[in-house]
Amino acid sequence: MVSTRDLYAEDRNVYAYRCPKCGVLYHPAPMVCKGCRNRRDPSEAVFPDFEKVPMGGPCRLLSWTRIYALPEGIDRPSIAFGIVEFDNGLRAAGQLMVADPQSGARLIAKSGLVRELVGRDFYGLQLFEA
Amino acid sequence: MRQVGIVGIGHTKFGRMDFDLVDIMSWAALEAMKDAGITDGIDQVFVANMGGSAINHQTGIASSLVSRIFLEPAMAELIENGPASGSSAVKCGYMAIASGMADVVLVVGGERMREVTGWKATDFVATLSHPDAEYAYGLTLPAFAGIFARAYVERYGLTEKHLATLAVKAHRNASLNPFAHIEESATLSGIWDGPHRDVVNPIMADPLRLYDFCPVSDGAAAVVLCGLDVASRFTKHVPVRIAGIGQATDTHCVHNRADMLDLKAVRMAAERAYAMAGIGPKEISLAELHDAFLILEVAESEEVGFFERGQAKAAIERGETEVTGRIPINTSGGLKAKGHPVGATGVSQIHELVKQLRGQAEAGRQVAEPKFGLAVNFGGFGNNVVATILAKE
Repeated sequence: MVSTRDLYAEDRNVYAYRCPKCGVLYHPAPMVCKGCRNRRDPSEAVFPDFEKVPMGGPCRLLSWTRIYALPEGIDRPSIAFGIVEFDNGLRAAGQLMVADPQSGARLIAKSGLVRELVGRDFYGLQLFEA
Repeated sequence: MRQVGIVGIGHTKFGRMDFDLVDIMSWAALEAMKDAGITDGIDQVFVANMGGSAINHQTGIASSLVSRIFLEPAMAELIENGPASGSSAVKCGYMAIASGMADVVLVVGGERMREVTGWKATDFVATLSHPDAEYAYGLTLPAFAGIFARAYVERYGLTEKHLATLAVKAHRNASLNPFAHIEESATLSGIWDGPHRDVVNPIMADPLRLYDFCPVSDGAAAVVLCGLDVASRFTKHVPVRIAGIGQATDTHCVHNRADMLDLKAVRMAAERAYAMAGIGPKEISLAELHDAFLILEVAESEEVGFFERGQAKAAIERGETEVTGRIPINTSGGLKAKGHPVGATGVSQIHELVKQLRGQAEAGRQVAEPKFGLAVNFGGFGNNVVATILAKE
């Protein structure tokens, strides 16, 4: 079974997953389509896998925070997080790279290095001013 | 279905405890058995704990506890359901008795979180979030609280003063609770509009400040349950009946909720508990709501039906959730000030409701003539919630 942990993947992209049967997009990857119950198979041994669709581009900031007690692997005095909605309705969390964020603002999401732990880099969505 | 009651309660002080995790839980268990007037006769033990393996490098905790207090050959299991582990364990105890598999059940919840640094404890709790779509970014539970609070504040106009008022209430109630982690009172002039506010009460997860968060605590709580048909074995206290239990789940990822302010699992768990108990929110005399972050007390009080959406702030202004108010909330001090050893919390909430329904709470925080108590134990960031209703017999 292939890991679903695409943040560790060498291509460093963040993906949404499209059900090959009904076309619904998910992030993160489920193991079954909520609507049509089509099974996802990362190994493609039994069923075709869901289509991996790189995430990024224009989005809208729904809410955000900035925290000052940081977890391991983030070497900054503070870090901001936001939840965004893309134009196709898909939602995601990401690191907010905006000095003065405002809920409702238009942003651009890109994949980038979000966290460094010993022996492992994490890539995820970073949210920039549009 | 067979009726189940609570005949014994035990609690350690919450705070920092430099004892072995199983010793901490054993202490609460022995207190509960003493309160029930028994030294043996336990058929089943359920142990609630979240961080034994991750923080304390200890597994097989249920077996260890049973042996430490000589309850062999009682059946024993560990229940891990994140911060809702305690209420889940009580639910399992209820089911064991209701099904007829056991007559007498001991439920113990405990945690030893201060064995590690604060950020490691925060990181450990954050592992309950989605590993790729949340945890990897550095998102912590306080960060989710900040995101939730901003959305709530922008939609409903809650202010810093409302949250500071709840902090003052929590500290006052905790200062009267001998088991509470936080023993000091807080004042509005100190944490909200004083000249040193930003030093005393700094922003931690914008817009939330330090006094909006619970401390990291060690501690344990325990209850003894029995079938009401065998309650005559226990003569020290009139049993407090478990009238209703409800549980519900929601999306693992917070961003996948159609409305992030809709705490559906809280609402459904409460509705299921009300339906089982045959009552509604108006019959509840007091509630222990899971306020790891004070914004959750606000939102949960609306989801369980005490107030309309967005109206909790008006209730705070009117003092309705104070000990002497219309619906007292978190008379124990809540997670915010009593403390939050995660595996213990759900059991501790039940402990407080039993104490109140027996009329044994300390002066200044005893609710007048309570009949029904509601506990809401909130797992994840609202993705697994247990609601429990207790009734005075």
